[in-house]
Amino acid sequence: MELFKNFPFLLLGAWETLKLTAFSVGIGVILGTFIGMGRLSKIKLISYPCTAYVEFLRGTPLLVQISLIYFGLPQLGIQLAPYPAAILALGLNSGAYIAEIVRAGIQSIPKGQYEASRSLGLTHWQTMRYIILPQAFRNILPALGNEFITLTKDSSLASVIGVSELMRSGQFVISRTFQTFSIYFGIAFVYFLMTFVISRIVRYIERRMATA
Amino acid sequence: MTDLLRNEGNQNGKEITIKIENLVKRFGNLEVLKGINLEVKKNEAIVVIGPSGGGKSTLLRCINRLEEYQDGHIYLEGIDVEKLDVNTLRARIGMVFQLFNLFPHMTVLKNLTLAPVKVKKMPENEAIEKAKGLLAQVGLVDKMDAYPEQLSGGQKQRVAIARALMMDPEVMLFDEPTSALDPELVGEVLDTMKKLAESGMTMIVVTHEMGFARDVADRIVFICNGIVEEEGKPEEVLKNPQKPRTKEFLRRIL
Repeated sequence: MELFKNFPFLLLGAWETLKLTAFSVGIGVILGTFIGMGRLSKIKLISYPCTAYVEFLRGTPLLVQISLIYFGLPQLGIQLAPYPAAILALGLNSGAYIAEIVRAGIQSIPKGQYEASRSLGLTHWQTMRYIILPQAFRNILPALGNEFITLTKDSSLASVIGVSELMRSGQFVISRTFQTFSIYFGIAFVYFLMTFVISRIVRYIERRMATA
Repeated sequence: MTDLLRNEGNQNGKEITIKIENLVKRFGNLEVLKGINLEVKKNEAIVVIGPSGGGKSTLLRCINRLEEYQDGHIYLEGIDVEKLDVNTLRARIGMVFQLFNLFPHMTVLKNLTLAPVKVKKMPENEAIEKAKGLLAQVGLVDKMDAYPEQLSGGQKQRVAIARALMMDPEVMLFDEPTSALDPELVGEVLDTMKKLAESGMTMIVVTHEMGFARDVADRIVFICNGIVEEEGKPEEVLKNPQKPRTKEFLRRIL
């Protein structure tokens, strides 16, 4: 059967999907941490743009964002190869969602933690770095895991700009074999395999944290 | 010039650590502090009493600028606290909270060493030695590798006191330090505070523990409706209060 013959090729695509997702989440976490903190700033010049960023990226389709970066930016003289364009688009997008997760995580830490740290003479940034964020990240780890799962699936949209991740690899196989049902089913199965494993890992971490 | 300044901080031969002048604090339209005047001399232990919502905690929180205030002045050793860098100011003032506020993701030892290492740039091993010394003083040196959740409330508060002492503060503020404790754990914390007062630490303690006020305070300050209603030696204020509000409050609490 064509599916079995081409399965290793699909797995290669799955590996690309995982790398793409991991890079994007990496960018998203760094970006989301700063934007999430920014949204909580008392300084409006910081909090308003951060809020606008989150609202805009959550309120527009990822497909449009990817197209804007890959097809739109060249008109402004910024030409990106498909792979960096995809990482940038997915990273900026997940940054908005992760910002909201981080904001909730920071808000879940009792105010007394911040006050105790500041009353010892630590600065706002030292307090964030040593007291608030370490506790916040521990609380939001499951939510970050779910964001990783969402992005694993959403990264299939990178296929439209020619990134040879799982979806694109599958379409390539179909163009040679014409086996639409079995190959698309194979693609779905591999996505499921990935998200299933990731969700188990997340749940394992969650359980370990609950007992720790 | 410096001598002149120093003289200003001198009264009856004793240095004044904290001087509060006409302090006003509003939350929106609500005036919580309506012109507080208070002086705390070096080595003095002040106990602040008064009804809930009267502004006692707010006063403490203004001193280390956890709260901004709208009018008046607070001086630390003669210098207006608003002229000091806020982090420097806080490093010189220790604060102990009702809910302890230990850092739950750090061991007891790390709770103590963090601030001196990060704020005062104290070498790590020096900080550890100092921490062990202070933990021994509060009787918890065997708990230095424990996490806060493994401690009882009284132990947590003793760690919090040691943590504040790590910065060698010039004055310690206690914001109802025993109010969140089970009754049988109150004593160990009060004992620690009493030892601290006896060692000469300048302290401002907000508490409802009248026994502690009577035994340890050099002076009792009764704050009600945002002003200092009455102040004096414990025996005067507790046994023979002058103002009707003080009498009313003491009758209810004793």
